[in-house]
Amino acid sequence: MSVLIKRLCLTTAVACMGCILVACGPQRVPSGLVYCSEGNPESFNPQLVTSGTTIDATSHQIYSRLVDYDAASGQIVPALATRWHMSKDGLSYYFTLRHDVQFHQTSRFMPSRPMTADDVLFSFNRIIDTQHPYHKISRTGYPFFQSISFAEQISSIEKISDDRLVFHLNHKDASFLSNLATDFAVILSAEYAEQLLAAGHPADLDQYAIGTGPFKLVQYVKNEYIRYRKHPDYWGEMPKIDMLVFDITSKSTVRLAKLITGDCSVSALPKAGELSVVQQHPDIMLESQPGLNVAFWAFNTQKAPFNDVRVRRALAHAIDKKNILRAVYQDTAVEATGILPPASWAYEHNADLIAYDPQKAKALLNEAGIENLSIDIWAMPVARIYNPNALKTAELIQSDLANIGVRVNIISYDWSVFSQKLSESNYDSVLIGWTADNSDPDNFFTPLLSCSSAHTQNNRARWCHPGLDAVLTQARTVTSRLERRYLYQQAEAILADQLPMVSLAHAKRMVLKRKNVTETQLMPFGGIAFGGIGHENGEAR
Amino acid sequence: MARYLLRRLNLFLATALLMLGILFYATSLFPVEHSYALSGVRVPSLQQQAQIIEDYQLEQGELAQFIAYVQQRLGGNLGLSLTSQQPVANELASVLPASFELAIVAGLIALVLGIPLGVLASQSQHKLTQHCIMAITLTGYSIPVFWLGLLLSLWFGVRLGWLPISGQINLLYEIRPVSGFMLIDTLLSDSQYRWSAFKDVLLHLLLPAITLAVLPFTVVVRITRSAMMNVMNQTFIRAAEARGLKTSKIIVRHALPNALIPVLKHLGLMLGPFASYAIIVEMIFAWPGVGSWLISGIYQRDYTVIQGGILAVSLLIIFLNILIEVLHTVSNPLSRKELYAAN
Repeated sequence: MSVLIKRLCLTTAVACMGCILVACGPQRVPSGLVYCSEGNPESFNPQLVTSGTTIDATSHQIYSRLVDYDAASGQIVPALATRWHMSKDGLSYYFTLRHDVQFHQTSRFMPSRPMTADDVLFSFNRIIDTQHPYHKISRTGYPFFQSISFAEQISSIEKISDDRLVFHLNHKDASFLSNLATDFAVILSAEYAEQLLAAGHPADLDQYAIGTGPFKLVQYVKNEYIRYRKHPDYWGEMPKIDMLVFDITSKSTVRLAKLITGDCSVSALPKAGELSVVQQHPDIMLESQPGLNVAFWAFNTQKAPFNDVRVRRALAHAIDKKNILRAVYQDTAVEATGILPPASWAYEHNADLIAYDPQKAKALLNEAGIENLSIDIWAMPVARIYNPNALKTAELIQSDLANIGVRVNIISYDWSVFSQKLSESNYDSVLIGWTADNSDPDNFFTPLLSCSSAHTQNNRARWCHPGLDAVLTQARTVTSRLERRYLYQQAEAILADQLPMVSLAHAKRMVLKRKNVTETQLMPFGGIAFGGIGHENGEAR
Repeated sequence: MARYLLRRLNLFLATALLMLGILFYATSLFPVEHSYALSGVRVPSLQQQAQIIEDYQLEQGELAQFIAYVQQRLGGNLGLSLTSQQPVANELASVLPASFELAIVAGLIALVLGIPLGVLASQSQHKLTQHCIMAITLTGYSIPVFWLGLLLSLWFGVRLGWLPISGQINLLYEIRPVSGFMLIDTLLSDSQYRWSAFKDVLLHLLLPAITLAVLPFTVVVRITRSAMMNVMNQTFIRAAEARGLKTSKIIVRHALPNALIPVLKHLGLMLGPFASYAIIVEMIFAWPGVGSWLISGIYQRDYTVIQGGILAVSLLIIFLNILIEVLHTVSNPLSRKELYAAN
């Protein structure tokens, strides 16, 4: 008996020692950075989508744009175009392109030439020319460009030489350069597109992406990860890391756990309630910045009873925004009184006209002759910068509306299904939001609430108001900031009167990162960029 | 014996057919068009539509449709995933090995630790030791796995920071799948970081495997103990003792082989709960296996993935169940005798 026990003890001890030895050896990790992202990208071409997840995964990693927007100075800075000028009448923009910009070289594509004006022409003609062989390849259309009427705005794009080209506009537009600097206006490879078309797989262009950005796409495994490698011939400042991995982790708590255990170095979109954990872990820090974004509750204004402004107003009066701010954002956001956030230059502080007033809400509903109202609220299943927890927001609204006798049914699906079903446009109302793509205030109005955007997915209120459109058009043609600011305030006034949507909050932009990650630069708008990130690699744990 | 095997095979086929029938019926209940739920092609061209109708015999009667369905599914055509538009069979093949890896390691932990502990519990003369072991196993048996998983990850991952608590490997290691088993693939890879990657995989595997192993471990301990106590009272053991054999020899050579037979039988019974526990564990530890794949398919209303996942998991359980039963019969002299008598 005792022999048996002895042997058992010995075996256990040896096994334990083995485990300890294995665990304690020096842990060598390849140079690189893991970013815990919140979801699957829908495509690898930002032209086709507006979702922040896709922009994060593609725009600043794989691609470059003609011009970039410098968040610090608020100026448009050179990217693929080194110089540009506008003709006197403001209708033509001339661009000179950078030389020796190389496209990614992968197992699927071997570029034979550097980037030229042809690639720029291809990238934009695909969007504006409905006869273009690639135009119809996109099943989702080009939502951002459609929402700003890009195709109507441009009469033609002309190649002057390999490194020079000109955009001819139909009318003056103060936001044109800003729009070219957005995350959506990326430059694709015309040569790659031709090869794919000849091979009969044109749809691969948007899936197995080729660009000129700091990282090239290596592998994407749905629900698991996206792997990028450094682009050795990148035209800009060379990335400091060899590999970039997006670890797709949809649960916010799991992202936090991975950050703590060191499986990822930067983690997206922490929930407000998790921020207290950061204080307990000295090697984790929070990076935050007031964001150019807005969370809102949009009514489907083409559907009864939401086509009645009194109903919309009643619902707006019935919800307690301060409570939502406390419970969902835990005071990491500011209350929204209009669409423009305080970080925008066109913002002006207005007193909130839509105060929390259930009595008034009831009276308005009575006036509209509505009884026993029951509505659906669609709540996003994923965390976004502007709303870290839409489901909770929906629940709070549900209880607020119960006070005025309105029943609420909350609807949610997994993100890809959610956005697909949302595009069928038979919802009552939806809790969603918008993150600006550039600092131009037009970016908050035209893509979201103009008549031209009413057919795209962006205009969640399905709202079309000629008065608002007139103001917005005027605001785009004038160039004086003071005048534009005045016009955007007018637009805000129209919206406050008509209430196609209730703005809830402007959230701070936050990422969590480990202390050994240096030089992240979080911008108030647009997607995350890892090109300049530094990482003191060493012990992984 | 041959007749017995044939009967087991028959049982396997009948059960599998029944399950396919239920799946076939359930497919027609999905709230989407029937051909879409079957094939998963989002926007079929006319040619594809014709092919789908041809494949699944959609214009024929129910029986012909069912036969076509079984042919397609068993022929490896599980349709396209609705969300990713990739063949479900490929996705399944990429997630199955991870689940197997987890299940095998968990099973090994349960057996390697459980059997000796069970033997120890049966041999101990101390009432206290016996009670302790029984109390611990009963606790382990009753702890819900989702709670245990969260507790372990909170303690070892978040508080102490010793072990990673989600995923299969630090994604900076680029491992090309060869066998699909990460432990093997890391060693096969020609990267200079091979050993570090192997360690990393091992560390990632530890917590999920332990969590999953708790249930079978407790069962193995308890069954081994009661079976051992049973066997040790038999006359042939006393005869061996009388011949002066060492206790350890008696246990290892004479008692244990007999005691393991009921353990084997219970392992078969445990497969169902083990599989559902595995799904929960995969969800908790974000393990990229069949379980989390199936659950995300359910969230995404991905009907072809749901069908494919259920088909694979249930076929596997049916098969393993019958396999264990056959093994049980082969290894058990008593039931072998019954078989011969029946013959």
